[in-house]
Amino acid sequence: MRWRLGLALVIVAALGWPGRPPAADRIHVVATINDLRLLAEAVGGDLVETDTLARPAQNPDDLEVRPSHMAKVRRADLLVINGLDVDAWVEAIVVGANNPKVVPGAPGRVDLSLGIPVLEVPTVRVDRSMGDVHPAGNPHYYLDPGLTPQVTAALVDALARVAPQHRATFETRRQEFLERVSLALNGWARTLAPFKGAPVIVYHKEWAYFLARFDIRQVDTVEDRPGIPPSPGHLAQLVRRMRDEKIKAVIVSAWNDRRTAERVAADADAKVVLLAHGAGALKGTDSYFDLFDYNVRHLAEALTPR
Amino acid sequence: MRAIVAPGLIVVLLLSSAPAFAEDVEALRREVEQLRKQLQSVTERLLAIEARPAPSPAAPAGGTAPASPPMTAPPMATAPAATTAALPMAPAPSLGDYARPHQPFALAERRGPGQLLFDIGLSADLVATLTQRNVEKALGGSFPGEENRFFPRSIELGLFGQIDPYARGVVRIEVGEEAEDGDREFKIDVPEAHLTLLTLPWSTQIKMGRMLNRFGMLNQIHEDDLPQTDRPNVLTRFLGPEGLIENGAELTWVAPLPFYLEALVGIFNGDNETAFGRGSLRAPLATTRVRTFFEIDDANAVQIGVSAATGETTEKHRSTLVGADIKYKLVPEGWRHPLLTIAGEGLVSNRKVDVSGDLDGDGTRLRGGWYAYAEVQPWLRWAFGARYDWTQYPVNPGSEWAVEPYITFKPSEFLRFRLGYKHTERTHRVTGPDDRGSARIVDEILFQASFILGAHPVDAF
Repeated sequence: MRWRLGLALVIVAALGWPGRPPAADRIHVVATINDLRLLAEAVGGDLVETDTLARPAQNPDDLEVRPSHMAKVRRADLLVINGLDVDAWVEAIVVGANNPKVVPGAPGRVDLSLGIPVLEVPTVRVDRSMGDVHPAGNPHYYLDPGLTPQVTAALVDALARVAPQHRATFETRRQEFLERVSLALNGWARTLAPFKGAPVIVYHKEWAYFLARFDIRQVDTVEDRPGIPPSPGHLAQLVRRMRDEKIKAVIVSAWNDRRTAERVAADADAKVVLLAHGAGALKGTDSYFDLFDYNVRHLAEALTPR
Repeated sequence: MRAIVAPGLIVVLLLSSAPAFAEDVEALRREVEQLRKQLQSVTERLLAIEARPAPSPAAPAGGTAPASPPMTAPPMATAPAATTAALPMAPAPSLGDYARPHQPFALAERRGPGQLLFDIGLSADLVATLTQRNVEKALGGSFPGEENRFFPRSIELGLFGQIDPYARGVVRIEVGEEAEDGDREFKIDVPEAHLTLLTLPWSTQIKMGRMLNRFGMLNQIHEDDLPQTDRPNVLTRFLGPEGLIENGAELTWVAPLPFYLEALVGIFNGDNETAFGRGSLRAPLATTRVRTFFEIDDANAVQIGVSAATGETTEKHRSTLVGADIKYKLVPEGWRHPLLTIAGEGLVSNRKVDVSGDLDGDGTRLRGGWYAYAEVQPWLRWAFGARYDWTQYPVNPGSEWAVEPYITFKPSEFLRFRLGYKHTERTHRVTGPDDRGSARIVDEILFQASFILGAHPVDAF
């Protein structure tokens, strides 16, 4: 008897409880990366329920497509995509999720890179001898707090496609959020202002937008080609350059090969600075503001002359 | 009757999806109005951005702090200063670009005007085997007819993308060396040419055409993506060296549950001669699969699946296969790759055969087999593993077991080398054509080199 009751419950759950309130009460937003989830949450407030596919500490380029991702996208009203190839895996997830609301071309889907001034778009023909290059340009624009007006505007439009009756509320929340970002951005800019023009080395080219926003110069990378382990020759040349140009900081993120970066920094009398490559990637970086507070503070510390 | 009912069901489902395609005039009008407002809003923002002063050029090299730091933040919503000036946007491909000889995928990756509307990818899988002379004569190796050779097992051109807002299409054309009756030749095959209807109601999808059936865990995996160089013995014995590739349709349903549960039913011709072979929708091959997945915690995940297929053989006898599979992965927090993968799959086959003087009774063959493997990947580029196989033969008496340790090296996501050793023992001798040799005990060294040209491969669990 008990098993029949259990079976009946499973079937009812699978088909949808008849008396359940409509799911439209809250818009279910799934973002490919956590930073975009936080922005959707900032705009959507209590009208949205958010989830993310790549874990905060994960390099989004490396995501392994899992059925659990499909289960999340299966329930999504809106799918928020970073674009520029960093989350190209999302198509495999969408195909396995059986959710017509978020298939390519559907209204419940937004690629936030559209309209962004993309950096490092190759001007020459690229191929894989250059490593794991992104032919459409650098995809890590979510690390630029100065682009929040554009990104959140696209989010308001996308959310309003799903729930047009709430457009005004989304826009109001967006304006409130932008005011907070603007205030915080002033503070971050003040903290890094003394280091304007300072040269840094990055392990991987994921800091282009962040550094450009604060006029810090990315002069070289530890990996000579994206995704390819650096050759000894490249590292030796890098150390020489760092000594010659008195470059004092090597920026790494949690998924980079820290030992190689530390060896380079030690040889060049520089410091390795670990920054969060996204919100939640490191302890104390859980919110959008925490992320930039942390990164700005640690970068300023690393650039301060000893 | 069944042959009529099954395709009928598919047609009914297709027709019932019509409302999803139909556009209500009023809804369209609202949408146009909304788009107009959005366009106006975007135009206003664009004008506002253009009205801002140009960003300052990149600061000169140095490293010391400037004397008087500015006290205001850089303007929001403008391109960051340093790199936009140095890196102008890529121009759209010109007519000359198209006319010039180039690798096809290069155009597929271009963005902006002139881009191709679908993706192109190419993968190549090259294999070398070394084994005993008697095994070569008996054609008793893992790749019969290719013993002691370096050969292109599969060179595959894949074309895929959205057909329209409602459907996605995939076509894969494969060229590979095949050995038959002592002759080797390049054969062109189309293992996949199918479309998937993405916008059907009730969380369903229909995939139709020619496809690698979603039967078991490894059947739908392409040769270059297999966890070991060769397919497990039980799969090649019961489904053939290429696996189950069929023409027909699959309907999938993803349950609205907090965890992933996918159910699938399929109707196919039954062209696979190793397991079925009837090749007619009058006596179709019916398949089903249920797959679920659990994340135990952030690091541990397991996938479980059960599959079944039933059809008729060329002799018009019933043949039924039932399988179960399980896969576990451990990906420690912050790792870019799994540290440990353990997986296994078992198959049971029940079929009737025409035999003269059948010693087993009524010609029924209830046979089975299984495999399991474990792989450890302590570093991003290196993996070590071993597979164990045990299988009976589907029709003939006897069984075989094998063990295959291997090592994999991946210089990048797009290139992989694998070296393995496989030891196989059979209860019966395998005798080659004209009784030139036999193979009961087989020792093989297997080498594999695979590469991909084009877009990122998707890593799947």
